[in-house]
Formats: sequence, C-alpha cells, structure tokens
Amino acid sequence: MIAHVAESGEDRGRVVLHVGTGDPHVIAVEAALRVARAFGSEIESLFVEDEQLFDCAAYAFAREIPLSGSRSRPLSRDDLMRSLHFAAQGARRRIEELARKAEVPLRCTIVRDESTRALSIACAERGPWNVVALSEPFKAANGPLLKQLLNEVVGTTGFVLVGPRAKRVAGPVVVAVESTDYLPEMLRAAEKLAALDESGIVLLLIASDQDHLDRIDAETRLVVEAHPNMRIAWAALSHGASAVIAETLRRLHAGTVICRFGGLVVSDEEDLRPLAAALECPLLLVR
Amino acid sequence: MPDLAKETVPAPSSKPLEISQLRRVVDPASLGFKTTDELQPVTGLIGQDRALKAIQFGANIKSHDFNVFVLGPPASGKSTAVRAHLGPKAAEATPPADWVYVYNYETPNRPKALKLPHGRAKALAKGMIAALDELRSVLPARFESEDYQVRRRAIDEQFRSGNEEALEGLNKKAQSQNIALLRTPTGFAMAPMHEGKVVKPEVFNALPEAMRKDVENKIAALEKELAAILERLPSSDKRRRTLLSELNEEVAKAAIRDALSDLHASISDIPDAATYVEAAGHDMVRNVALFLSTGEEENAIVRRPVDSAQDPRFRRYLVNTMATEPALGQTGTEGAPLIEEDNPTFGNIVGRVEHFAQMGTLVTDFLLIKPGALHKANGGYLMLDARRLLLSPFAWEALKRAIKAREIRIEQPSETTGLISTQTLDPDPIPLDVKVVLFGDRELYYLLAAHDPDFTRIFKVQADFDDTINRSSENDTSYARLIASVVKEHSLKPLDASAVARVIDEGARLANDREKLSIELGRISDIVREADYWSSEAQRKITSRQDVVRAIDEQIQRVDRLRDRGQEVMERGIVLVDTEGAKVGQVNGLSVLQLGSFAFGRPTRITARVRLGAGRVTDIEREVKLGGPLHSKGVMILWGFLAGRYALDGPLAMAASLVFEQSYGGVDGDSASSTELYALLSALADIPIKQSLAVTGSVNQHGEVQAIGGVNEKIEGFFDICRSRGLKKGQGVLIPQSNVQHLMLREDVVEAVKAGQFAVYPVGTIDEGIEILTGVKAGERGTNGQFPAGTINRLVEDKLKSFAARGRGYAKAIAAADGDGA
Repeated sequence: MIAHVAESGEDRGRVVLHVGTGDPHVIAVEAALRVARAFGSEIESLFVEDEQLFDCAAYAFAREIPLSGSRSRPLSRDDLMRSLHFAAQGARRRIEELARKAEVPLRCTIVRDESTRALSIACAERGPWNVVALSEPFKAANGPLLKQLLNEVVGTTGFVLVGPRAKRVAGPVVVAVESTDYLPEMLRAAEKLAALDESGIVLLLIASDQDHLDRIDAETRLVVEAHPNMRIAWAALSHGASAVIAETLRRLHAGTVICRFGGLVVSDEEDLRPLAAALECPLLLVR
Repeated sequence: MPDLAKETVPAPSSKPLEISQLRRVVDPASLGFKTTDELQPVTGLIGQDRALKAIQFGANIKSHDFNVFVLGPPASGKSTAVRAHLGPKAAEATPPADWVYVYNYETPNRPKALKLPHGRAKALAKGMIAALDELRSVLPARFESEDYQVRRRAIDEQFRSGNEEALEGLNKKAQSQNIALLRTPTGFAMAPMHEGKVVKPEVFNALPEAMRKDVENKIAALEKELAAILERLPSSDKRRRTLLSELNEEVAKAAIRDALSDLHASISDIPDAATYVEAAGHDMVRNVALFLSTGEEENAIVRRPVDSAQDPRFRRYLVNTMATEPALGQTGTEGAPLIEEDNPTFGNIVGRVEHFAQMGTLVTDFLLIKPGALHKANGGYLMLDARRLLLSPFAWEALKRAIKAREIRIEQPSETTGLISTQTLDPDPIPLDVKVVLFGDRELYYLLAAHDPDFTRIFKVQADFDDTINRSSENDTSYARLIASVVKEHSLKPLDASAVARVIDEGARLANDREKLSIELGRISDIVREADYWSSEAQRKITSRQDVVRAIDEQIQRVDRLRDRGQEVMERGIVLVDTEGAKVGQVNGLSVLQLGSFAFGRPTRITARVRLGAGRVTDIEREVKLGGPLHSKGVMILWGFLAGRYALDGPLAMAASLVFEQSYGGVDGDSASSTELYALLSALADIPIKQSLAVTGSVNQHGEVQAIGGVNEKIEGFFDICRSRGLKKGQGVLIPQSNVQHLMLREDVVEAVKAGQFAVYPVGTIDEGIEILTGVKAGERGTNGQFPAGTINRLVEDKLKSFAARGRGYAKAIAAADGDGA
C-alpha cells in the first residue's frame, strides 16, 4: 500500500515516468508531475528502447509499416537507432518543458531493455518508495499487462495511468474505498494531491451489497471525522460493476482517482474497456 | 502763419464739425426699459435677413448639392444663428434610419452595412448580446448533458474500439502464429517470436530453410493485413468526425434557434437584419466550439469575461452601431441629428478603421470601424469650420467625395492616395443624406470659388452674414435684446439702460460707422461679461454704464503698450511731430496701426521738397521698397492732379520728393495722398502749413478728397499727442467730408471739442483743405485763365511756370553749346 513516495534528495525513491516509443500523453506527464509535486519528490523520465526492436531489425526481411499504412520499408538497425534517438529527444523536450512549469526536478535516462525489466531495475536502483507513471494511455486489453507490472516491478508503491479519454488533472481527488483497511494511507495521498490546488476530496464508497456499503460508511466516518473539504459518495453494485463505477467516476468530474488494483474499480482479471471508455482523469493505482 | 510779404489772400474761416456730428449716442431713456431683465432675449441674430433666408433655403431644398457656405467675419455669431435656426428644424424632422456594421460571414473583410428603422440598432445589438449570454451557459450545458455524452461516447467507442479491436485482432493472430507485433517510433514491425520474446536472428537462421520461408511468408501476409488496417484508419477517423459534427450540429442548432428566436421575431419586419441573424445563427452552429469551455480554460487562473460583449471569441456576432445623434441641445433621441465637428480631420469626417497590436501585427475587424461626423449627421445636418477642414490633410477631398457620391465610404488616407496597399477592411458604403453647413470668412469662400471647381457645384447656397446692421431705433432695441441674451446665456447680472446704451455706442464704434452697429457678437459678449466682472468688483447688483466704460478702458489698457510707447517717443522728441507753428512743405499725416483686435492712430511727419526737374515726383517710400502699391498709386495721382491743374499747356518742369519721415516700416494705402499733395502745394507755393493740424484723406486727379478707413483712430491718435503736450486752441484734424458719417469719437475727444480745444474739419476738396492748413485762399481760375494773385494756386502755378522757363533756358544753352562744339 502506498504510504510514502521518497522526497527529493531522500534517495529512496521517486516518480519514474516510463516513456516508450509512442508519444507521451500530456495528461499522463502532468499526472506524474502532480504526484511528484504532491510528495515533494523528483521525477525520472525513463525512455526505454525496446531491445526486441533491435533483434527484429537484425532480420534481413524485417520491414517497418508506417502509421499511415502505405509504403513499408526495410527496417535497418541504423534507421531504428536514429528514429529512437529522435523520439527520445522529442519526448525529453516536451517533458522538460512541463517539468519546468511544474517546478519539479527532472532526470532523464535512456535505457535499451525490455520495458518491464527496465522499470524493475530503475525502481530497484533507488527503492522502495517509487511511483511508476506510464506515459502512454492504457488500452482495453492492458489488464494483464498491469498485473504483470505489479507483480514484477516490486520497488514501487503505485502506478499512475491515464486512459485514452484523459482530458484533465484538475478537479476533486476521488478515493475509491472498497475496504477501510488502507483508507488512512489512501486518504493521506489524496490530501497531498488535493492540497496542490485546494480541490476537494470525494470518498467514493463501493460495495457489492448495501450491508457492506453501510459498514464501510460507518468505518469511513470514524476515520475521516469532520473534514471541511471532503464529502462521501456511494456506489452499491450488483452487476456490471466496472462499467457502473467508470460512469460514476466520470460524473464526479474527478481530477485524480485513487484506487486499489484487484478491486472492483480495476480488477486483476477483467479487461479495462469500461474504464478506458469513461475515465477522463489520471488513475493512481496502488497495491 | 502765412508769409504776408508774399501778399497772399487770406482764406475765409472754416467751420469745424458740430459736437453732435462727432459721436452718435443712444439716449438710455429712449430704450424703454430699466434693466435687461425686462427684455425678451433674442435667439440667433438680428438684421441678417439675407443670410437667414439663404440658410432656410439651403436647409429646405432637398438636393444633395445644395449645401450651405456661411460666410462672414469671425465671432459674428454665425454658428449660433445657424444652430438656433436648424436646431428646432432638426428636432421636428423625422428621425433618420439607424445604420450598423455587422460581420460578413461570406467575405469577412467586407463588413456589411445594415439599415434599420430609427432606434432599432441598439435593440439588435442588445439582442445579439443577450443571445450570446444565453448560449454561453446553454450550449456548454447541452454538450455536458448525459444525452449528448452518451451519444458522443457511442460514436467514439464505435470507431476507437473498432480500430483498436482490428489491431488487437491482428496482434492475437500474429501471436498465434508466433509472430511478434512491435511498435517502432514511426510505425510497426514484425519478427518471429518464441515464448513471447523475439527470436534472436542467429537462432532463427539455424532453423531449416522451409521453416524460415514459412515464417517469412506469414510475416509478409500479416504485414499486408496491418497495412490495410492502418490505411483504413484515416477514412474511419474522417467518418467519426463527420458523425460527431452531425451530432454537434444537431445539439447546437436547437439551442441556437431557441436563443435567437426572440431576436428573430423582433426584427422579422426588417428583411436584411433577419437574414443577418439567420447567417449568424448558421455561423454559431458551425463554430459551436467557441461557446464550449476547453480543458485549458478549466485550469485557467483568469477566467473568460462575464460580459459576452467583452469576450474576444464572440466579436463576430456583435453589432457595431454607427450612432445617429439627436439635434444639438436635444436630450432625447427624436429628430434629425445636428452635428458640429470641431476637429474635422479625415477620420473624424468619414470615419476610420482602427487597429490594435496583436503578436506584433496590427489587426482589425468590423467592430473597430469608428463612425465619422458624416455617419453621426446622416439624415440631418453637419456644421464644419471651413478653415479647420482645409487645414486637415485629405479631409476636404473626402468630404467632397462623400457629398458627390452620396455615400460614406471608409478608406484609409493611405488608400486614397494609393501610396500604400495593405489588406484591410473594405466596409460597405453607407448611403449619405446630409446637409453640410460650412463656416468661413469671405476670403476663404472666394478663394475656394476661384480655385476649386467642385466647390460651387456642391455648395450652391451662400449665406452671407453682414458685419454690421443699420442703426435705427428698432435695431437699437433689437441690439438691447441681443445684449439681454448674452446676459442670459452667461448668467450675468442685468445691465441697466445706460449700460446697454453705452454698449450700443461701442457697437457703432466697432462698426467704425455712426450709422451702423457691429454685430461682432464675440466682442460685444466680451464687453458685457467684463462689465459684469467690474460690476461685481464694485459690489453692484446691476451692471451700469460705469462698468461698461471700465470694461472698454481696461480692454484697451491691456493691449495699448505699443501705442503708449509710440506716444512716449514723440513726447520725448525722438520721433519728430510738431503740434504747433507752421512750416513749408511739412504736414502731419495720420496712419492706423492694427495690432490684433486693437487699432490706434499715429501722426507721422510728411515732407515735400521741390526743384527744377524733368517732371517727376519721387516717392521715397517706393524707391526704397517700403511703399505698397496703393501708396504708389496715390502718389501717381498727385502727378495727374498737378499736371491737369497747372500744366495743361506747358511742361511740368518740376522734380519733387515725398517722404514719410522717421518711418521704418512698410507704408500702404492711399489715405495719405491728400496729405502729400498739401505738402507739395505748400512747398511749391512756399507757404507754410499749420502744424497744429493733421490731415487724412485720399485724393483723386480732380482734387476731390475721398473717404478713408480708421478715421476715428486717426483723429484720436493726433488728439492724444496734442493732449499729452497740452491742448491748445487751433489744434485739430482735417478729414474727408464723406467720413463724417463714420465718426464715433471717444468721449474725451468730444469733450475737448466741446471745450474749444480741438476741432475736426470736414474737407471736400484739396482747395478747402489747403485753405484751412495755410490760412491762404486757394483761388479759382478766372475767365482770363489766371488764378487770382496771392492765392495758393496762383503761387503754385507761377512757381511751375518759372521752373518751365528756366528749364527752357537751360535747354537752349545746352543746344547752343552743342552747336558751338559742332
């Protein structure tokens, strides 16, 4: 569970922004920077040159099909190196600009490796209190990938993700509460994020039945007591949980959603289709 | 004194002017009131029937080229009169149509001009702002509504998931064939895969060739499929955008139609405006994004303005009203406009297109079209000062163009000159229906008429204001009412009858004519207001004659430093002017100096010397180029007089020189020609002239003395120097008989005449004048063809004959000397 992200200079973690071959999504970068600002952390941009691409380019018959689909061309190692170099420079320039505006210390690294392993190594280098942010929006079919990341990248306390419809970072911080076990820690993270622009906090209590919901409600109220900038919302679910939750989150106009992986919001089995279709803000996914 | 040794014939004594002829004064009792409070103020002018008729004609005639030029002296109340005349007329007239400029949705750089019934422009402008205000809240709400969001997501998902699924399907298909689909920075690539990892080439190359070939074929086939999917993406995205546009249009159209419905209903009787609102509605639908908040906006620290009229996004939907103004002095909006433009520059006349700087570039739009005076006065009257108009570059030509074309076309001066060609706005011209009233002096009018052929074609009505009105008891009363109107206009204390009478007297003095009254309203108003000040200083509740006299004296005192200096140098003997005794060939002439609005007279010694010569009068002023053409003309007339009277049948063997002594500036005018003739006659007759007298008047070839200007100032100028030296009996001034009617002398001069210390002599001929100046009879030619002995004329003729005889003697001697030599 997220308890801490290492502060700048603490040398025990930071926000690691994974940048792949695709263009970094501006909301994804801004979300990573907000987390860094909220925890007073620094950010490391990790541009991963997928080493499998170089294996691919070593084949004589390897061809690159451009995004327009027309006129495929032979894929050479030199061409690949050059285009990766330019992509890394371009991404770095955009991220640097946003980091400068947000006044967050930035370090840029380029590694040639397989993505998950590169993240694992990066987090292990300065652990354990890292948060990994993915610069590309997740896709409906990325559920298994998330599970793999959570399993393999151990030096991290959470992941920052955005969906394809992401369009804002401003708005209330919504904490999806499915159990009160981790509520204090999630609340602490929410308070830090909400303090950035004095946005409110919404505790969205989620349960599969009313009894469970009532119990969570009672326990939550004990934890939060009277909080001037906080309100509680409810979602009682019987079926189609992920779609209903996704729509509820959209209607709350959240600026950030904090939830646990493996629960009703992001299950470890289902695909992410409902969330991808409705989520308009970043998701801070904690273990 | 006459030289009795010459046995001259004394002249009969001459009769100076009576006191009553020196100044015409109004008897306060004849005015018939005690104070101006009892008088009904007069609006406009008095005694200007001709000019007012012309203005009335110009205002009434409908033709566009019958504009009015009001000519007359400055500060004569021309504009007050025109305002007073046109104001009520404009107020009663039908209000003109309103004109507005709106955005042209088809050709943005050509703003459309719309004509609306009077008073409807503001309603249209307000209606558009109200609709925008409504749409700013309604449209975002409609686009945030569940209905819209659900439909939009459905479209997005339909295409996004379709594309994603196609790619994901291909990915799965590739994986099932152990082919990896990899993302490169600029596209995709495929390679053989084993257990989720790309197979190293060295491993792959160790495989049997058939297997390798099989893998290559699979990759080639998958690449084709991938290319086909990717190629479909743009057209699929295009289709998605089309569907979204249709959805947006459907949602926006309903909201926009609702928001504009009230406005549309209110202007349904104006087809052009209704068409415009419809076009604006279509444009709003096309550009509905303008009304929707963006993500950036949500995060913005500074929010959009609350007022739609101030929001730059909506400028294209606003209405630029080309104001129509009420008549001057009217508070309401009824009636035709009566506009007075004090600063008639090009832009202030025809309007202008302003610009503002944006990102280092000057940009503009139809809202930056600023109306000119022609827009404001359209349908009414426009009053302009001609001199200011002509001094403003391009303004006169622009005004003429607008009047002739009967439309207001807004152009930049640089465009009209064709020097600079930049892309700017080309607004629709607005039809012009205006009556232009120009004000100027006569000189300007005649200059324009002579040099600008367009002028008389478009300013066909000439309203000529007189400088003066005739003096009569009726006009005295009207003048008193005019003074009452000044009192009322400036909220002054009332004037009693004696004060009014004194102002009327001053009016005659300003007219320089006892039979006229000046209608130089500005000067009269100044005197009345200053008198009010002095009355307040004296703590009087009613302004009296004493205050008017003080006001006039103080006015003079403020400006007469140069007159005092001139008098001082005469008193100290620096400038030589005799005021007693008698001298041959020397006369006191009189001149007038005009300094601004103040004029004063000054005596000047004029001398003549004669000798035998070849018949030439040397005008020293002309020789040194200090004499103007009129002065030279006067001197040449003297020669004509001398030749005609004294040398009909013989040569005029004389040389004479004439000079204005101690004159160091230019001399012009012929008012000293009689003076010069007296000096010449004195020199020829060798008879001295009384220096206690001064002379003014021009003369013709028959010896008749003619009227001159500034007679009052000239008399007063000599009076002042005599008084400063101590008035003595016998001092006075000779003036032309025809100037007697102009006399309005100062009261102190009249008092001196009354006391017998000063005199004014009217003179009709040179003979009358020379008799007064010398005390010797001029003499008339008798039946024997001779002037009587001992008369001035006889003495002059004898001298000329002696010159001729001596001249002939010299000629013979020279001829004889030449013969001897031969």
